[in-house]
Amino acid sequence: MAVSTKSKLLDAEFLRKLERLALVSKRARLGVAKGERKSRRKGSSVEFADYRDYVQGDDLRHVDWNIVGRLNSLYLKLFEEQEDLTLHVLIDASRSMEFGSPSKMDFARQMAAALGYIALIGYDRLSVEAFRGDAAIRMRPCRGKGSAGRLFSFLEALEAEGGTSLEEACRSYTLRNRAKGVAVLLSDFLDPAGFEGCLRRLCVSGSDLYVIHVLSREEVDPQISGDLRLVDSETEAFAEISMSQALLKRYRQNLAGFQEALRRECLARGIVYVPAVSDMSFERLTLDVMRQGGLLK
Amino acid sequence: MDGLMGTLRGAFLAPVFFAFLGLIPVVVVLYLLKLRRTHVVISSTLLWHKSLQDLTANAPFQRLRKNLLLLLQIIVLLMLVAGLARPFVRADAAGGSDRCLLFDTSASMQTLEKGKTRLELAKEKALEIVDDMVGGDKMMVVTFNRSSDVLCELMDNRVRLRAAIRSIEASDASTRVRDAVLVASSLQAAQANLRIVILGDGKIADLADIGSRAFDVTYLQVGETDENAGIVAFSVRDSLEGQGERQCLVLLRNEASSPLVTTLTLYLDDEVMAVEEVAVAGRDMGELLFALPPVETGVLRAELDWEDALAVDNIAWLVLRPASLVRVLLVAESDSAGAYFLKRVLALSPQVELSTILPADYARSDDYDLTIFDGHSPAEAPQGTSVYINAYPPLEGLGTEGMLEKPGVIATDAEHPVMRFLNPSNVNVTKAQRLTLPEGSRTLVSSRGGALVADVSRGGKQMVVVAFDLADSNWPLRLSFPLFVQNLIAWTPRATLTGESSVRAGESLTLLGTNGADTAEVTLPDGGSQTLRLDPTRPSYFGDTREAGLYDVVYGEHREVYAVNLLDLNESSVSPAPSLTIGRSDVVGERGGIEQDRELWHWFVMAALGVLALEWWVYSRRAWL
Repeated sequence: MAVSTKSKLLDAEFLRKLERLALVSKRARLGVAKGERKSRRKGSSVEFADYRDYVQGDDLRHVDWNIVGRLNSLYLKLFEEQEDLTLHVLIDASRSMEFGSPSKMDFARQMAAALGYIALIGYDRLSVEAFRGDAAIRMRPCRGKGSAGRLFSFLEALEAEGGTSLEEACRSYTLRNRAKGVAVLLSDFLDPAGFEGCLRRLCVSGSDLYVIHVLSREEVDPQISGDLRLVDSETEAFAEISMSQALLKRYRQNLAGFQEALRRECLARGIVYVPAVSDMSFERLTLDVMRQGGLLK
Repeated sequence: MDGLMGTLRGAFLAPVFFAFLGLIPVVVVLYLLKLRRTHVVISSTLLWHKSLQDLTANAPFQRLRKNLLLLLQIIVLLMLVAGLARPFVRADAAGGSDRCLLFDTSASMQTLEKGKTRLELAKEKALEIVDDMVGGDKMMVVTFNRSSDVLCELMDNRVRLRAAIRSIEASDASTRVRDAVLVASSLQAAQANLRIVILGDGKIADLADIGSRAFDVTYLQVGETDENAGIVAFSVRDSLEGQGERQCLVLLRNEASSPLVTTLTLYLDDEVMAVEEVAVAGRDMGELLFALPPVETGVLRAELDWEDALAVDNIAWLVLRPASLVRVLLVAESDSAGAYFLKRVLALSPQVELSTILPADYARSDDYDLTIFDGHSPAEAPQGTSVYINAYPPLEGLGTEGMLEKPGVIATDAEHPVMRFLNPSNVNVTKAQRLTLPEGSRTLVSSRGGALVADVSRGGKQMVVVAFDLADSNWPLRLSFPLFVQNLIAWTPRATLTGESSVRAGESLTLLGTNGADTAEVTLPDGGSQTLRLDPTRPSYFGDTREAGLYDVVYGEHREVYAVNLLDLNESSVSPAPSLTIGRSDVVGERGGIEQDRELWHWFVMAALGVLALEWWVYSRRAWL
């Protein structure tokens, strides 16, 4: 299939690889519109599902006349309904995401683009939302490969600014979006308020949840030394440190503890936790890790 | 402010360095000028804050740590400043320096103090000092009574030092420390860390003779008691009333505060001659006079019937001898002015048997105790004492070198027995020979151009040279001239043997080598005996008179008894001196061990280094910065 949309985020070769992938939903869900996925709703596909007694008001077109002829009673023939799946891509666009080389934001954009592209080519509904402080920037939900260009330009225009308030953003998101499906949250989770509230809110949505924890190489393995005044990009809080082995060791322990705590919290809530470092091979993450995580097939 | 400085001086040798405490604000300011840190914007400080908190939470005394570096720096500064100010403590000197121990072995050290003599107490202290010596410390031991004796050179061999200290014995002699102090202080000049320690009761007779230098001396005082009474003078003199009658004078000293009431017994040749009641008030002197029968010879003994802390001064002896004449030969031209004055002066002395001879007739004769050559140099010096006025004995190195015109008297050697009690500074001399003296001579009267009177004694011959003719000076008209002649007579060995005879313990006995005997057998008061070789050509001396009592000397058929007594007011006044004035220094006696200023600065510097290391360690951890 020819690629109709040029993207700075993803090269053509990679997009071709993506086209062989599809989103996986663990459960049949109620969709928003007709689509290619099995729905819990009975509908009008060609796949037979069940019979049921006719009740007054049923559409006579669905009566199985062969049964009427044989048994002289009215039965309705039910078919599987095929609906679409909604992929919610939630991006933490706080200023802290701007850091790293390559930046966590770049990584998140690419990840969102890749997942979104897979959804679009699978005729799934795609909803992308970026959190910035407690405000949100949304892309209008779309379907079809034709919307890929819109997706890419939305993501390219996305800048990381403002603080992090994941819980509030998630709360507002779940209130607005009733469509259940697959939700992927891309964030560094460096939120002074912690991550528990955010995950709790996400669970309310009822979607299959994926958390991609993005950290930069600089955060995982700090290469700083000397007497420094570290300034927080979002809160402008500062920490004065004199780099020492003891401090570095303690930092690494804390980082590992932070990741482990997030993983446990996700596990407890049935969320798939995928750790990522912004400089890791994106293809490997998408093609291997996400497949192993069960999001893609 | 003065009071503060006074207090500091009590503990620091250089309190002026406390001015450096002014650096404390500088340290504080430096501390307040915070470290200039590079600003680095990172995504989030969340994890860093947590890490910092963890590190500080794990450390005890967090609050203290906030200012720990400042505190440590101030402590380092305080330590260094305190070290600079040279703190010291008065402490038992447990080693750390070399010592010269001057050990008093005079009579007063025999004073009993609760069953032990002061000498024993002093020995114990000295042994303690040896025990306290640390590696490398050296000590020398010098005993002093009437004379000084180096028992041990400066050494670190404790075994030998202990043996030397244990071997110290008391004498009945008086106390003279001058020589010992001068020797020790000259050693001290060469060896800066040598400390002089005087160990004794401080009853020292010749402190005033030491000079006016400042001495760095520690005085370790021994003894407490003052319970003593003793005989301090015992002599016989002709009675002023009757002819031929003699009187015996006994002078007593009661050092104790309580009165002395007892009796004094006088023996003549071990027979009681008189018993006299004695009553002397506390801390006072008493005097007793006895009339003696006209006896020529015998041994007088005075005994005080009193038990006190010091026994040696409760008894005194005196040997009565027939007065013997000093034979004087004057070799002079009969018409010389010198001869005229000399004859007049010699005639004044009743113990002189004067003979006169013309130089032309003179041949060497050893029969005279004193030979005076006036303007005539003999070919050979006679035995005995001789005086050369404007004349010279044949001595190697002695000669004249031209004349001195109007040499003024600038100094006299008052220590010499011949110059005692006389002051020739008012003597004018118009001309004198310029003397060149042999080595070992002693200048008695000196002028700008050289010696005017000199002692050139050699090999037992006592010789005095006067470098000018008496006629060329006004000396014979001055008081110092007859005194000079009297001193010369008294200087002759025979003069010391005349009349009643008693010497102080520690002084030597003069034995005249008469009767041709080669050896003398000396029986000491304690019964021991010593053999002394006699030189028939000169007087011999017996010096081992540490013990008071009667010394029996037998040479040939001749027997002579000598009395050796303490007879020393200074020694009988046994109460120890609380302080000594040595030269310009007042030294307070210390009753305990030796105390000295022990400097502590090196401890402060070491502590400062330790704290500095700790500060560096704290800084290198830096987690709480």
